[in-house]
Amino acid sequence: MLSNDKLIKINEVAKILNVSIQTLRRWDESGQLKSIRINPNGYRYYNLSDIQLIAKDIFYLAKEWASQSIAVEPDNNFFCIDSPTFQIKLNHLEKDLQTITKLKKDFSLISSIVGEIGNNSFDHNIGSWPDIRGIFFAYDLNKGQIVLADRGQGILTTLQRVIPNLINDKDALLIAFTEKISGRAPENRGNGLKYVKKVLMDIKKEIPLKLYFQSGNSFLIMNDKTKNLKIEQTKTYVRGCLALINF
Amino acid sequence: MIIELKKFGNILISRQLGKEALAAINYQLPKENTEKIIIDFSEITTFSPSWGDEFLSPLQQKYQNNLLLRNTSNPSVKATIEILEETNQIKFQVE
Repeated sequence: MLSNDKLIKINEVAKILNVSIQTLRRWDESGQLKSIRINPNGYRYYNLSDIQLIAKDIFYLAKEWASQSIAVEPDNNFFCIDSPTFQIKLNHLEKDLQTITKLKKDFSLISSIVGEIGNNSFDHNIGSWPDIRGIFFAYDLNKGQIVLADRGQGILTTLQRVIPNLINDKDALLIAFTEKISGRAPENRGNGLKYVKKVLMDIKKEIPLKLYFQSGNSFLIMNDKTKNLKIEQTKTYVRGCLALINF
Repeated sequence: MIIELKKFGNILISRQLGKEALAAINYQLPKENTEKIIIDFSEITTFSPSWGDEFLSPLQQKYQNNLLLRNTSNPSVKATIEILEETNQIKFQVE
């Protein structure tokens, strides 16, 4: 399980659960969702792990797991310790996607980009995982969300093996998605994230897909309307990779 | 000869398994580049460049115009063939 004794304020809870602060105050008074008061008349606080369980926000869980300083294995439901485990879970995802009418034609594109992102984590960190070996992999088909994360070395460190003068996450992310270069040169690699970009931006699909991808302090968002990739920076640092696919 | 990819599974995604698949059929492959080799994608539900690069790219390099891809209508198969052609500067013969 995630170890979260972290307390968060009511406005953060409102954002996570997508309800108003007034609703949360009402829930507090009725006992439906009790807050924690450090001082009797002070701010309302909530235990982050409780809120996450209520929200079942798999992206939030993955981001928290990938960015926290303490390394712990995620909940078994979300954890693939090795590539065969990931393959089995991907088989389940593919079968589930096939049951969704609107994905009748596009399901294979989704499962193939999930496969590429997940396998990238294993291929680039084999024998070099900094702490937790394996990936966080979860999906919520009702919300149309698929999440993958790892606590691996990240894009920058991986690419620095072949481009030693690369110095920031922003440039590394752009190169990973746009140039054919392998972090395991001279092996012939380096198609994975270019393929993901192609599926997101170029391939004609019946339903639009959206990708959030972060490594280090940089992230990008792409969909079928994206013309040029824009890499942005965030304060939440993820050493490895964090990906959210929406459909 | 015809190679039916479904014999390796319906979801072909990892680089490692693509490499193993090629090693497994290596003994059946013709030594000379004289006969047609047909790769049949029927019943493949998910295909990715990692698997494809390990399996298809070496075959294309060796057999070139004698390599023929069949039943490639699955969107992930199509997209993978395109990306392999773009990044490896090759052209597959598609039936």
